[in-house]
Amino acid sequence: MARRKVRVGAAQRLTGYGILSLLGLIIIGLLVQQARFNPAVNAVLRAPLKGRLAAAAGPANSATAVLLPQVAGFTPLAPVESFGPDNLSDKIDGKAELYLPAGFKEMSCRKFALESAGKAYVEVFIYEMGSAQNAFAVFSGQRRPGSPGSPLTANAYSTANALFFTQGRFYVEIVADRAAEGLQNSLESYAKALLAKFPTKVAKKETDLKTLFPKEGLAPDTVRLCAADTFGCEGLNNFFTGEYSLKSGKATGFMARRDTPEQAQAEAQRYLDFLAANGYQKVQTPAAPANFSVLVLDNSYELVFVQGRTVAGVHDATSPEAALELAGKLRSELKGKP
Amino acid sequence: LKPPPKEEKQKADGLSRRDFLKRLGYASAVALAAGGAGLALYDPKGPAPSEGEKALTGLGDYRLKELAIGPGKMAIVRGSNRAAMVKQGIKALGGMESFIRKGDRVLIKVNAAFATPASLGATTHPEALAAVASQCFQAGAAQVLVTDNPINNPDSCFGITGLAEAARGRGAQIVAPRAALFEPLSLPGGKLLRNWPVMAGVFPGVNKVIVVSPVKDHQRAGASMTLKNFYGFLGGRRNVFHQDINGIITELSQMLKPTLCVLDGTVSMMTNGPTGGSLSDLKDTGTMVISTDPVAADAIGVELLGRTLAEVPYILMAEKAGVGQADYHRLSPIMIDTRS
Repeated sequence: MARRKVRVGAAQRLTGYGILSLLGLIIIGLLVQQARFNPAVNAVLRAPLKGRLAAAAGPANSATAVLLPQVAGFTPLAPVESFGPDNLSDKIDGKAELYLPAGFKEMSCRKFALESAGKAYVEVFIYEMGSAQNAFAVFSGQRRPGSPGSPLTANAYSTANALFFTQGRFYVEIVADRAAEGLQNSLESYAKALLAKFPTKVAKKETDLKTLFPKEGLAPDTVRLCAADTFGCEGLNNFFTGEYSLKSGKATGFMARRDTPEQAQAEAQRYLDFLAANGYQKVQTPAAPANFSVLVLDNSYELVFVQGRTVAGVHDATSPEAALELAGKLRSELKGKP
Repeated sequence: LKPPPKEEKQKADGLSRRDFLKRLGYASAVALAAGGAGLALYDPKGPAPSEGEKALTGLGDYRLKELAIGPGKMAIVRGSNRAAMVKQGIKALGGMESFIRKGDRVLIKVNAAFATPASLGATTHPEALAAVASQCFQAGAAQVLVTDNPINNPDSCFGITGLAEAARGRGAQIVAPRAALFEPLSLPGGKLLRNWPVMAGVFPGVNKVIVVSPVKDHQRAGASMTLKNFYGFLGGRRNVFHQDINGIITELSQMLKPTLCVLDGTVSMMTNGPTGGSLSDLKDTGTMVISTDPVAADAIGVELLGRTLAEVPYILMAEKAGVGQADYHRLSPIMIDTRS
């Protein structure tokens, strides 16, 4: 029997297309929704508990893990653990926010029992920071004031239960759970074994800026490298700072080197704009060099200048004399330096 | 009038009986196939409920009814012996019997975030936990559970901190995190806690909650005390919340209303928190705070750290959210010195 052709009216055709379009839209909607998994599902699927480390379960496969030496008297309590930028906070929680902006690459750590110190619990951390400057940033950012320096490396100090130092691009913490007789010797022997495994030093390309802080009046253990947002100014990164007690008052000196003089000028302007936006007023200082900009707010003086490709100045000086004195000394040190 | 011929009627209707039955058959087959496919793919548990539909809206209100309205209770105890400080502080507030009744099942939330020894001050001190657990049992608690979802491996954290031993020694039971304990939670009006996995599975059967926290500096939050301790109920990649640390702590403060808070400032981590590392990061601040108000307790902790409320914004934000009182003097705290 021949199939009978059914006539479809315009209204019916329109309704049919409408229904098909609606079904199409529903399918698109479903696909879009399925592509957007809710965060709880993502969290549970990726990390059933809270993202504990795979590395914690076995030997770590990272560049810093192989630097951890076996030293007599240090009995490993657990395998080496390693962490990268994505999971550093799984080990050190909120303190990761100090390392990440400073160029953190990876960290390996291991727990030991130290027989010679009553089975003290010791944990060694090696942070690879990408550059010596970055390593100094996290070292100086956590420096315990008043702690004695250590001859281990150029940047090293000890506290009653720990050793902290940098070597090249590495920052190291060796932490015990107690202060005990003979502990420091043991920690130093571990540190020396560790340093022996580090890559040999690369020759310096240029003067280390932090060595240019004038010595007079400087509290040496206050020299720091602020990796990000120095003095609360967003984007003011990699600034060295040092605190001074001068006859004319207290002040903090700062220096930062940039690739070109133009970049240094732009950085100086950024800080001056930040100060102005926060209510600082320009101060006329006829005796000061022309390129010194001095500002004040509530008896706190700021001074900014540029020397070649270095932006430098004084922060929170207690008097204009202190600001000018320290800035003059900084400028003298920077003269002739690239 | 003659009725219209059959063919003409069919033409007018546009559909024959045979065609109708055929189409009905096709439609039924499609409907059955779609239904069958849906049934085959149906996951009765589902990965997570749709936003706002079945997610938890909080972990519960465990405050005593008589203290839920109006200013809470607080004791500030000076000294160095944690057990004595906890005991005297709770006694000053009417004794643990006024908070824990016979047969209660108590959950103690500790800060066991790191696998570091208690001497480094990065976690709840086991002496403080032992003192609180003992008091609970003496008051007649049927069960005391101790929990946290630590940053590091839970077994290591509870073990190395000494919290596991302290709990076991007093008859309390450690509840380590496991996947089955986590359920999604959406805080009503919350911007961050939306379908986020929280350790809700430790709460069924529990009718009292005590939070025991250390006083610590915190790189991101400014300070880690009682309210920041609630962070340990979160699962998932919770470090994403570090970008709005004050916001998340404020929301966490609304998620749970504890019965009692014990803030242990006997020794405080003044710098380089939350991990510390050096004994020089610690300071004897000789203070134990026992409070029903977590905001007020943290306000004292801020003072112990030598900071102002402006430097730890989440405390005032939690107060604004109605969680507690940042001006702890309004609680008329009872001052005790165990050294005298």
